[in-house]
Order: sequence, then structure tokens, then C-alpha cells
Amino acid sequence: MSALTQWLRDPSPQSRLQARLGQSFMGWLRFRRNPLAMAGLAVVLLLLVVAAFAPWLAPYDPIAQNLKLRLLPPLTAGHPLGTDDFGRDILSRLIMGSRITLFIITLVAVTAPLFGMLVGTIAGYFGGWTDEILMRVTDIFLAFPKLILALALVAVLGPGMENAVLAIALTSWPPYARVARAETLTVRNSDYIAAVRLQGAGAARIIWGHVMPMCLPSVIIRVTLDMAGVILIAAGLGFLGLGVQPPMPEWGAMISAGRKYLFEQWWVATMPGLAIFIVSLGFNLLGDGLRDVLDPRNSGK
Amino acid sequence: MTLLSVENLRVTFDTEAGLVEAVRGVSFSLGRERLGIVGESGSGKTMTGRAVLRLIRPPGKITADRMVFDGQDLMQASDREMRALRGRRIAMVMQDPKYSLNPVLKVGAQLMEGLRQRDRLGRAEAHAKAVAALEAVQIRDPDRVMDAYPHELSGGMGQRVMIAMMLIPNPDLLIADEPTSALDVTVQAEVLSILDGLVRDRGMGLIFISHDLRLVARFCDRVLVMYKGKVVEELAARDLTRAKHPYTQGLLNCLPRIGGPRQPLPGLDRNAEWAT
Amino acid sequence: MALIEIENLSVTFTAKGRKVRAVQGVSLSVNERESFGLVGESGSGKSTILRAICGMAPITGGTIRIGGQPLPTPRGRAFSRQVQMVFQDPYASLHPRHTIDRTLSEPLAIHGLADTDARVVQALKDVGLPAAFRFRFPHQLSGGQRQRVAIARALMLEPSILLLDEPTSALDASVQAETLNLLNRLRTERGLTFLMVSHDLAVIDHMCDRVLVMQHGRAVEELARETLAAAGMTTDYARSLFAASADRMLET
Repeated sequence: MSALTQWLRDPSPQSRLQARLGQSFMGWLRFRRNPLAMAGLAVVLLLLVVAAFAPWLAPYDPIAQNLKLRLLPPLTAGHPLGTDDFGRDILSRLIMGSRITLFIITLVAVTAPLFGMLVGTIAGYFGGWTDEILMRVTDIFLAFPKLILALALVAVLGPGMENAVLAIALTSWPPYARVARAETLTVRNSDYIAAVRLQGAGAARIIWGHVMPMCLPSVIIRVTLDMAGVILIAAGLGFLGLGVQPPMPEWGAMISAGRKYLFEQWWVATMPGLAIFIVSLGFNLLGDGLRDVLDPRNSGK
Repeated sequence: MTLLSVENLRVTFDTEAGLVEAVRGVSFSLGRERLGIVGESGSGKTMTGRAVLRLIRPPGKITADRMVFDGQDLMQASDREMRALRGRRIAMVMQDPKYSLNPVLKVGAQLMEGLRQRDRLGRAEAHAKAVAALEAVQIRDPDRVMDAYPHELSGGMGQRVMIAMMLIPNPDLLIADEPTSALDVTVQAEVLSILDGLVRDRGMGLIFISHDLRLVARFCDRVLVMYKGKVVEELAARDLTRAKHPYTQGLLNCLPRIGGPRQPLPGLDRNAEWAT
Repeated sequence: MALIEIENLSVTFTAKGRKVRAVQGVSLSVNERESFGLVGESGSGKSTILRAICGMAPITGGTIRIGGQPLPTPRGRAFSRQVQMVFQDPYASLHPRHTIDRTLSEPLAIHGLADTDARVVQALKDVGLPAAFRFRFPHQLSGGQRQRVAIARALMLEPSILLLDEPTSALDASVQAETLNLLNRLRTERGLTFLMVSHDLAVIDHMCDRVLVMQHGRAVEELARETLAAAGMTTDYARSLFAASADRMLET
């Protein structure tokens, strides 16, 4: 173990791989000092584990109905979080639902920032007309409330999980474009960009290899902070019946279904609400911690 | 009489790479004289200056066996007492005036702020004092400068305003950290001679922190040479050319001279023993 | 024939509708294998001349010729193989997230040159850095070491002209000495032509054969090295610059 840390801490690495891993290790050490961020990381890891082993973890079939056992309160023997109006075990539904949540998050987290970053860096790097056109398009997207735009898109595309993901991705790239553009503007006139331009590098090489790595930290931070919002919009679409369709155990749809029983059987809506709350909080804490680690302004010394 | 005495001053930073000691056991005492602290970057000279005012941010920590300013123990002083000392009795001039002046306030307002708040002077009186302070640093049209925003001033002018501002409360000790490094050479000489004259006239103590040995030698009575957080040599400025320590000699010799020989400049062999 | 010929160069920046004339009608010529200095205080336009050569400042008048040929706009790859630049601040001129290896191999990749590994190792050796530094990040290096990397990068494409923009003003005195020695050694070894900008007359004097003193965007006086050493300048400004130079201070 100590040989490994020794290798990671080696101030003069022997290969590209060692250099990169060593950097990540130092970042990890810095990250570990922040207990809240570690808590966030724990929540996110828990979500990953639960989603990965969902079929084995879930005690019951999340879709099988049993009307004899409907609306059992929490802490009932065999149903620690109670059952819903069709007698389905809420814990099992939450566990299976984590897969759907994770699926949505991953797809959105991969597509939207990548597209936003491309738009932002190109706009920022070229400036002038390119910037003007790309940014006005971004403004148009920003002018609508996210949920309304997503609703309109789903209404056009038709309800369903894939379309929900597409709608969320299409509505959430503009902030990344803005962040990336702002970052690009500060990087664009730096000496290291001037140096590589002087060596004859083309725009594509500069944007991809030199500008994007500088935008990446702020975008990653923004993504983790936005994850909570994405979960909520997905839940919102599910709540309105435009996202994942029943009987799939999506958390937002579960809240929507529990709304009818909110006063008498509060747990039906509260349990998925708590799940959304905890996961959102986890991503937020993780994002805050990552900001301290990744922000180049803090990693100077 | 001793104005400031410092014994075994240490500044440590607790980083993820382990403990880093920026200042390692520096001792000196200062009367109403001009003391130069010289060293290269990373020698701990700036940290020493800041530690005297206890201006080290966490995770940095200051320890000292003794740090007494005019009878007052700086290590024991409360934050409130330190605030009362800073600016009023011990003033500090930083390297770049751009970052020390508030960009959205007029120079005059910034100069008068302290006078109005601290000394409870009336508007006219504060104005007159501020103008006098600007005149003391040889600003020819103080009224225009009073009405200007910091970005409208040149670097040399900005630094003079900073010096004027620091000297208004008539401090007993002035800590100047590279006060002229951001300035052009012709302006540099001017600002330095103004600073020199003021310190001499008012009988202040001056700690002049710089990387430039020759500059310090010209403006100070005594020089501390720092290397890696330690004082390697302390000597009177006029004896500088007779410095004994190889590091001090190296610092003096490695600068090019106009009309000097074209052979390679003498390097500075850093000896690991100097740091221990 | 001179290698670099600048005739009546003017550079005007337009910022918020206001025109700033950074360089006004400056002419100079640098012979092959010569070291030419530009000296002046901030705002004198000395760095702008270097940037204009590289196509990074708007030229509004005059011509720049290198090897007798006017420069194309944009400068193009042939220009990169001929002219390279070392920037003032070694903390800003290296990409903070690229290893030294990547920084040095990038120009080779752009120009499709082979033998990347061998060339990078050799380049580090040439500027006096240990091979162990190859996979470090810039923040693991000191200012002087970074500037060596920047010099190595500028030499990767084996240019004949090196533009030096205050290459040592951000460095400690002893590191400045080492860096200047390195530059001089590389110049003799490779037969480079230097066009060097500095505010420090002593540095320029040590490095250059001829100096052009600049003020407010205009050329004030051109001095040969011997004239400078003998204080034979004819303009007041050049004389006051000479008097204020750091190494004079101790003697007055």
C-alpha cells in the first residue's frame, strides 16, 4: 500500500499515466479533507451500488400488485417503508427506480455538457459573428423556463423515458455553453494559447486540446450541481405523467401516484420524495467539494 | 530604543503535502532605523513582514518565542488590539497599488475615510490633511488626484497615493513589501527617495522587503539576507560589498552590469547546508 | 541583407471607440546572427513590436520583412518554423494542465515531425533540465525551470529567429543569470538571431549588440553596445534611463 502511495506521490513521474494518476491522487487527498463532500460522495456511491445490484437488493417484485397488502404503513414486518395503493413494496420500487434515475442522470450528464461546451468554446474562441449567432441561440433557449420547454418538447415527441431524457438534455445545455464561453474568454488571450498558435496550431486543435481542458473543471462542477435539478425535472415530468410511464417505478411518478393519499397515507409520496432529496443533496455536496479540488485558482499551491 | 523585537519567528503551513515551513526561526530587532530584508522568491521575506502584523491566513500558523512592538506583545494581542495597531501604528505598503486601492472609490474619499472615521475630523479638515499628505509624497496637483479614480492614475502615482495613505496616521513602523517592483525604473528611483525622506523626517522604523540587494543597500541602514526561511547573514548596508556569506556574495555578483564583460554571468550554487 | 527589416511600423489598437497608438513609425533592422535589443518603460510599445511580427497586433502602417519576404497574413506554418517567441511570464505561458512532455511534443505533432520521444528528451537536455522533469506539470516547477521549458518549446521547431519578451523579468536575480547564460549559449550553438525586449538596460547591454530605446510608441535613439557602455547617448530620455538602471544605483 505504501509503495503505491509512494509511486503516486513521486515528484518526477516516469510516464504519462503515472503523472496523471499522481495528480488525481493529490486531488483526492485535498477532497478527503472536506467531510461534507465525502458525505456527498458516499451518497452518490451508494446510489451507484444500489442501482447496480437492484434486482438482488429489492426484496419484492416492484411491479407485482397485491391488493390485500395495499397502503401498509412503514415499519410493517416485511415492508420497512410500507406499500403503495396497489400493495407494491415501496422499498423495492425505490431500489429499482434508482436505475431509472441513474440512467436519466448519466445520459443527460454526458450529452448536455458536451454539447454546451462545444457551443461555448467555439463562440468564445472565434468571437465576432460566430459568437453573436451561437449566443443568441443560447439566449433563446435560456429565455424559457426549463420545465416549460421540456414539457413542450415531450408533448411534441410523446411521453416516455427516452424522450424525457432528450427533452431534459436539450433544455439544460445553455448554462454549460455560457460557463464554457466565459472560461474561454479568459483563456483565449493567455500566453500559452498565443504560444501554441505561434507554433502553427489550428483552431480545432487549440479548442479541443487547450481551451476545453481549462473549461472542464467549471463545467464538471456545474454538472454535479445541476444533477439535483435534472432529477427534479425528470421527477416533475414523471409527476405530470409525461416522463416514465407506469408501472415503471420512477421516483417522480411515484410521488405523483401518492399525491391522492397524501393526508391519510403520507408515506406513499414521502418515501420517493426523501429519496430524491437525499440524492440531490448528495450531488450538491459532491459538487461543492469538487469545486475546491478542481478549481485551478485553488490548486495553485 | 527598540521598537520591534522578534525572536525565533516561525510560519508554518499545513498542506496536503505535509507541513511547510515558510519562516524558520527568524530573530531581529529594530529601532527607529531602516532595516532591509532581502531574499529570492520563496525565502520567506514577505511572510516575515506579514507575520509581524499577524496577517497570515489559515492554514498558516505563526509561532514566536517573543514578538514585541513598543512594549506590546503581538503574540498575545487580541484580534481587536491587532486591528487597532494595523494602519495606525504599523502600516504596510504592498507591491502593486492596483490591488491595494478600492477601484470604485475616488482617491480622495479613500484618503479621507480613515481621518473621518478614526480621528473624527470634519470634512474640510480631513480634506486639508489628505491634500497635505499627497503634497508630502510630491504629487504636484493634489486636487486632481483627490478627484481621480485609482485606474486613472499611473503606477508610480498610485504607489505614491498608497504611501501617502499609509503615512497619514503617522505610524511608528512602516513595512514596505517590494514597494517599487511594479514600477518603471525612472519612477522607482523617485518613489524610493520620497519614501526615504519621509521615514527620515518622521523618525519612523522601516522594514524594506525586496529581492534587489543593491536597491536595499542604498536605502537601508541594516540588511538581513534570507534564504529558505532563515536569516543567513545580517550586516550593515555599507559593508555589503564585504559580505562574507557566499549566498549574499552570489546575489550581488549575478546581476549583469552595463559595460560589464560578455562572459557568462556567475551563477549561484545553492548549498544545502545554508538552509540548516 | 538584414534578416528582419521593419520599416515605419505603426500599430493602433481600437478599444471602445478610442484609438490607442501603441507603435508609431518605428524602423529597425536586425542582421543574421545578431542580437538586437528593444528597451523602454511600460507603455513604450516595445512588446507590441514583437506581437506585431507574430501577427498578434493590428498593423496599421509600415512593413515587416523577414529574409526579404513580406509576412503573409495569417502567418502560416512556414513562419512558425522560422520565428518563435519566449514570453515574459513563465507562470502564464505554459498550459497548466499539460505535462512538460505534452507541451514540448505539441509543436512536433502540429508539424508532423517524427522521433517525438528522442527530440523531447534532447530538448530537455539542451536547456539543462533533468530528464525526470519530462512528465511533471508546470506547477511542480520553479519559475526558472518553467522558463527553461518555454525556451525548449520555442526551439522545438528549430527556428532561426527567437523573439524574447522580457524573458527574465519575472525571475530572481540568480535565476535570471542562469537563464541569460543559457540563452547566450544556445545562440552561439545554433546561430540564432535574437530580438529581445526588456525594461532593464543592464540585461539588454549584457545580451545585445545594438539597442533601440523606445518611449511612448516611438523610437528615441539607437545605440551600439560600446556607445551605451561609454554613456555616449545623445537624448535626454536615454540618459535618464541609463542613470536609473539598477546597477548604477549602488555607485551614485
